[in-house]
Amino acid sequence: MTQIHILDEHLISQIAAGEVVERPASVIKELVENAIDAAAKDVRVELEVGGKRRIVVADDGSGMDGDDALLAFDRHATSKIAAFDDLEQVATLGFRGEALASIAAVSRVELRTAVTPGDGHLVRIEGGRVRSVEPASHPRGTRLEVASLFFNVPARRKFTKRPQTELRRSMEVVQGYALAHPEVRFQVDHEGRTLLEAAPVEDDGEGVRQRIGQIFGRDAGRQLQEIPIEFVGEEEAISGFVGRQGAGRGRRSFVFVNRRLVRDRQIMARFYRAVRDTWKSEDYPSLYLFVDLPPQEVDVNVHPQKSEVRFRDPYFVDRIEDALRVTLELARGEEAAPLRLPQGPLPVVPAWEGLGGAGGMGSTVGSQRDAFGGRPGAPPEYDASPPAPSEIAEGGAAQPWPSAGREGAPSQIAHASVVPPKPAMVPLSGRSGEARPFRILGQYKGTMILLEGPDGLYLIDQHVAHERLLYERLRRNMAQSRPASQQLLHPILLELAGSEAMRLEELGPALEECGFGVDRLSGNTVALRALPVVLSVEAGEAIVQRLATEDGEEVSDVTHLRRRLLDDLAADMSCKGAIKMHHPLTMEEMQQLVTELFQAEQPYACPHGRPVVLQMTDVELERRFGRR
Amino acid sequence: MEVRLNRVEFMTELVPMQGVVERRTTIPVLSHILLRAVGSTLQIAATDLEVSLTSWCQAEVQEEGAVTIQAKKLLEIVRASSSDDITLRIDQPEVLTLLAGKSVFRIRGLPEDDFPSLANVDEGQALRVPFPSFRSMVSKIFFAISSEESRFQLNGALLELQNDLLALVATDGHRLALVEMRHEGLEEEEGVLVPRKALQELQRFEGEDLEFRRGPHHLSFIVGRRQLICRILEGTFPDYERVISKENDKVVKVDRKSLDAAIKRVGLLTGERTRAIRMELSEGQLVFSAANPDLGEAREEVECDYEGEALSLGVNPDYLGQFLSACDTERVRLELKDENAQCIAYPVDGHDKRYVCVIMPIRL
Ligand SMILES: Nc1ncnc2c1ncn2[C@@H]1O[C@H](COP(=O)(O)OP(=O)(O)OP(=O)(O)O)[C@@H](O)[C@H]1O
Ligand SMILES: [Mg+2]
Repeated sequence: MTQIHILDEHLISQIAAGEVVERPASVIKELVENAIDAAAKDVRVELEVGGKRRIVVADDGSGMDGDDALLAFDRHATSKIAAFDDLEQVATLGFRGEALASIAAVSRVELRTAVTPGDGHLVRIEGGRVRSVEPASHPRGTRLEVASLFFNVPARRKFTKRPQTELRRSMEVVQGYALAHPEVRFQVDHEGRTLLEAAPVEDDGEGVRQRIGQIFGRDAGRQLQEIPIEFVGEEEAISGFVGRQGAGRGRRSFVFVNRRLVRDRQIMARFYRAVRDTWKSEDYPSLYLFVDLPPQEVDVNVHPQKSEVRFRDPYFVDRIEDALRVTLELARGEEAAPLRLPQGPLPVVPAWEGLGGAGGMGSTVGSQRDAFGGRPGAPPEYDASPPAPSEIAEGGAAQPWPSAGREGAPSQIAHASVVPPKPAMVPLSGRSGEARPFRILGQYKGTMILLEGPDGLYLIDQHVAHERLLYERLRRNMAQSRPASQQLLHPILLELAGSEAMRLEELGPALEECGFGVDRLSGNTVALRALPVVLSVEAGEAIVQRLATEDGEEVSDVTHLRRRLLDDLAADMSCKGAIKMHHPLTMEEMQQLVTELFQAEQPYACPHGRPVVLQMTDVELERRFGRR
Repeated sequence: MEVRLNRVEFMTELVPMQGVVERRTTIPVLSHILLRAVGSTLQIAATDLEVSLTSWCQAEVQEEGAVTIQAKKLLEIVRASSSDDITLRIDQPEVLTLLAGKSVFRIRGLPEDDFPSLANVDEGQALRVPFPSFRSMVSKIFFAISSEESRFQLNGALLELQNDLLALVATDGHRLALVEMRHEGLEEEEGVLVPRKALQELQRFEGEDLEFRRGPHHLSFIVGRRQLICRILEGTFPDYERVISKENDKVVKVDRKSLDAAIKRVGLLTGERTRAIRMELSEGQLVFSAANPDLGEAREEVECDYEGEALSLGVNPDYLGQFLSACDTERVRLELKDENAQCIAYPVDGHDKRYVCVIMPIRL
């Protein structure tokens, strides 16, 4: 490691200002980064009271000599960059020379460090003031002890959360670095209890998989689809893993840019989009993404905590998205179909067109309707409120849907005259909003409802559609009473990552409210001893697993959690009660279903994320028939 | 192949085969049974790779040979025939000619070689127990076997041979059923997990004696001319003795039939998936009630022997009902503690060495 020196003013101004130390976890982040920058192979973290009382980070890295040991605490003292140009290509995690100074200003710090074993130094600093410097024997490496964080900043102290919460955050930080550096050994102890112990493994794809297993439990490591390493250009690589479809346990998402854990919205947005498009699902799998590229190609200096990045090449995120799509398709083992999820708003109440008159209707359907005493040509018994005149007038010539004009020219099929253009003048009760002319063409194999819409052909999966409706109904009912809870004969044991076990512990009281019984046992094992009666053991276990892995603060709030769980319960139950495939429906039943669906809160996807409606746009049809 | 055999005898052996063959399968031969003429018998076999069943019929064998035939069709044909005897013949590969009275069927089959080879469990010490007692033991615990596929180690029952005791235990995580029978001369052996399907098929057998053998990976059950072989379920079964609480100090005795009937009636008003009723115990009476926001409410009292503190807890009426139906005694005993503790149910004066069902409560 080169000598430490003070940065010049110009450079200082280039460095993003901002608070470095916000909470115990941010101290740990900085210290672990320093250890990794010092090429440590073994990093040990010890905590007391969630890090509020004491944080120790010890490494076996390069160590510092006597002068550096003092200089390290000066603001803008760094060994990592020297000139402005260096800022363009930061290869280390640290570069501002700010972390130790900031930490020392708000706590009591003891630094022990040695370059050659035995010949070391001990520096004591309190609230930014050096108290003592003395020789001390120490093995090669550095040990930083940070006690009484924020002892001189009462306002900040108030803002730290309960020790449990702070500890969980700290664990999340260490878990992130442990994933990024599988070749380094990591250990975390909290008040004598070992929360994480990860032996060093190879620094390659297989090593990362093993590390994932060390942190999140063996199963998590197995259920992954590898992202085939995509070399973009000479030195850029995109690699990693996504969870398999149906493997559950989603929402663990880690993105590393040059081994730096980032929370980059842009990348995540691309990931979510790729999942929705390729899987037709909002059940996002876990993601471990490693992006490696030359330091000058990426700007890490856009955020005080260095958690966002900007790529020099604006198309680089596209390549990331492409790599993700390929992997997601592989993980699913399927090719994409020409049908797509409708885009833009659907929830407009349909006006039924051509019932009884249109040629598309089969005679069976007609006679069935008669058998039920329906009036031909009239919709079933709806309390139709009179529509606004303008809506009726416009019914036939409805404006194209936002998606219809995607390719510019108006669709030919939409204007073709084969379809009787007369819309039924009966908008159905429900939300305000214009009525759209739809026509039910019939039922396909007793399974799907075919619908002619203003801009294309719609297929509705009757089972999934019904499921969606039952789900919304059930959710409204269940929000009122507390679910009955079945106690289990022998608890189900869940092996989790440290942060996840803590998270469940935090959620304990809220879970109890919702019919779950969860106890933290020794280590990171959590025992599930009761489940809501409505859930199968399998479904209950899956829900708890998912909760454990999700991040986000708001979940610990009882009302929010309750709603989430009720959602999950309702999703599980509605699936069982919905009409099945290969179940013939009368025209009235289909109308009823479609009308209700179009009034649903979310008509596109079932509670499990499967699509309800698929659309083949006129544009697409024309293209495929060679008319465009 | 050419054989002649008695139709009724043949049909009797074809029926249990149906339970074993796979109806919906991607491997066609698994919906078939194997027929093989050897010596003076026609051997019959069916398998789904987990469980296999073999049997035989007396037959006049003109020519030895074998074929596999779709199990369901064959049974339908044999059942629909009216003659006393049936002749089976192969005069074209993989086509079985079946002559019954004046009817002639030519049924397409699959080559004999396609049929999976069956596991062999013929060696080792055999255990002999009276089959009717064994079958009644199975019926007393069968309902508690889990049908959730993810919990595969609970998709079967634990069979234990201890000193002079034969035990069967099943649990699905919500309840546990255990039944024990005294049997002299048993040596202590490690327990073994018998898959649900094997127990289900065994319940349909008739006979006096059961001959049980255990191979390294398979179990064999022989009853009369039938032999059922199944794969041993791998997995660890919970330590059941530890699960049964010893602290339940509130003891109720009650008439089994009236309890069963009351629970079934009150259970009518529980939700389809929220099967829970409230059970309130006070001196001399048990009160069951159910409330369902969509349906309404129900309540019923049952007389019982009880002197002690009042107590209330929620239970699944199906769990209790299945135990009560499996019992054959006039009265049953329930041991309780509080609303969070298990309900332990025993028959009063039963024949079994021990029969007990532990049911976890529901917090309402
Ligand atoms: N664990 C360590 N082992 C060896 N040297 C260290 C260690 N921790 C800090 N140093 C030295 O102290 C200097 C200052 O550390 P500090 O964390 O304050 O700044 P930085 O890492 O350079 O930049 P940043 O503020 O972005 O983290 C580092 O540049 C490094 O030379
Ligand atoms: Mg640093």
